[in-house]
Amino acid sequence: MGHKTYFHIKQTGRNLRHNWPTQLMTVMTISLSVLIFSFFLLIYLNIVNAGNRLGDELRLIVYLNEEVAPEVKQMYENKIREFGKVERIEFISRAEAFARLGRQLDTEKDVLADLGPDFLPPSIEVYPRRSMRNLTSLKQFSDYLTTLPAAQKVQYGRSWVERFGYFIELLRVIVILSGVLLVMATVFMVSYTIRLTVVAKEEELAVLRLVGADNKFIQTPLLIEGVLQGVIGSACGILLLYLIFRWTTGHLSGPGFLNMLDFAFFPPKTTAIIAGTSVLLCAGGSLISIRKFMRI
Amino acid sequence: MIKSFSDDLPIVDIVKATKVYPPDIIAVQNVSLAVGKGELVFLTGMSGAGKTTLLKMVCCIEQPTKGVIEVAGHDLSRIRQTEIQKLRRQIGVVYQDFKILPKQTVYENIAIPMEVMYRSPKEIRKRVDQLLETLRITHKRNIQTAKLSRGEQQRVAIARAAANEPPLILADEPTGNLDSEVSGYVMELFKQLNNAGSTIIIATHDESIYRKSRHRKVELQHGLFSGHVGHRQLPLINA
Ligand SMILES: Nc1ncnc2c1ncn2[C@@H]1O[C@H](COP(=O)(O)OP(=O)(O)O)[C@@H](O)[C@H]1O
Ligand SMILES: [Mg+2]
Repeated sequence: MGHKTYFHIKQTGRNLRHNWPTQLMTVMTISLSVLIFSFFLLIYLNIVNAGNRLGDELRLIVYLNEEVAPEVKQMYENKIREFGKVERIEFISRAEAFARLGRQLDTEKDVLADLGPDFLPPSIEVYPRRSMRNLTSLKQFSDYLTTLPAAQKVQYGRSWVERFGYFIELLRVIVILSGVLLVMATVFMVSYTIRLTVVAKEEELAVLRLVGADNKFIQTPLLIEGVLQGVIGSACGILLLYLIFRWTTGHLSGPGFLNMLDFAFFPPKTTAIIAGTSVLLCAGGSLISIRKFMRI
Repeated sequence: MIKSFSDDLPIVDIVKATKVYPPDIIAVQNVSLAVGKGELVFLTGMSGAGKTTLLKMVCCIEQPTKGVIEVAGHDLSRIRQTEIQKLRRQIGVVYQDFKILPKQTVYENIAIPMEVMYRSPKEIRKRVDQLLETLRITHKRNIQTAKLSRGEQQRVAIARAAANEPPLILADEPTGNLDSEVSGYVMELFKQLNNAGSTIIIATHDESIYRKSRHRKVELQHGLFSGHVGHRQLPLINA
């Protein structure tokens, strides 16, 4: 019984040796599909990540006619929290707003000297929770905040949120499409090569049947063949992406878009999931051929 | 081992079997034959008499048009594919057209049935080398069978059938391409296997290998057993 694996692997070796150009083409197709899919996935995940980090800075600013007296702050807070989920609320007085601007201007502080500390309006800064960070919720929230007493106008990075939302949506579609491509290419290519193996080995398979080989003896090597294509193909694809990633981050280092994004490679778990799924797809592809082309 | 490879029942029991190939070629007609465990039977008759067809029906390559064939107690018309595979592992067949793999070596071809049984590589090596020795083809061990003479290919087919020392061996014209000396080695191998317990049916028109033999001979003529048409009694186990 212990020799089963040995014979299955030996048989697999014979099959592989026999039509290696096709095998090579299949492995290359799988690598390419894995590369394309994981490339877009990597970009998508990083952008989403960056979006979340930038989103932490996202706030609605309610400009007020007058300073909020300390005793009504609680009333404001309650009213705001009544409407939506809020991370935190900050009250900015005229003086604080002036001080902050001063800090931002730093060396050119002198320009403020003539204006006096009262020229900026007081405001309330509302940091919405993550679940509120979409255009519709923000718009509704903003409309509501306008109705607060003493509210003059409400501002938030509307166009930015809008564009970022579309961008993420587009990326999501691309990731899904390349995922579909990955599924179709791997399953098709693997089942195609296994079919070639079956056709090319028809005579041998017939002899194996005549001497009483059971299904396992005939099918297991074909399954191993598919799984092997999946393992090698996805390993190559992911390795290639990693090399591209290293090269790009190496050459585009310094202050720039990538650094702003804090671009990172997949964590090991995601890598394992991508590879594992590809291998499963390949196994599926070979099973399709085994079922279809061998009447058992 | 398989159900009822027992001493008392016939290992092969053919009852009134008829085989008609389309459109209307009657290859075997109303033939009955029972072969007991441990027997060596010569199935004789001129070419075209139906010997090959009869053996093909016993190893499930052809289905009888009429009649019943039982092997080791299994009715072959009611057996499932997995059972057929199990049964075939117990039957060594020398096909008249060899059915060996031309691109694989002599050694690989002979090893196939043992690999299918998941024998240990060591055991396989030992047995194959022993068979090569017995049939005098050790020097061709690692040569592709496509490059061998017909006689050498035939010996590969015989060695493959004998590799597992199966309980039942069916040999179709096993000496058809061999000179008398090599035929002698082959018959020696069959006798060894028979003495070790294998039941053997040899289909042949080569009178030289059975003329002086003390084993049972049954003769087919135009798909019928000569003399005793369609009768079960006469070709039964001979004591
Ligand atoms: N596959 C087949 N299709 C049609 N006729 C066949 C087929 N196989 C054998 N026959 C015919 O059946 C008869 C018996 O053939 P066969 O069993 O090969 O006899 P033998 O082995 O005794 O020479 C012959 O007339 C042969 O032409
Ligand atoms: Mg014949």
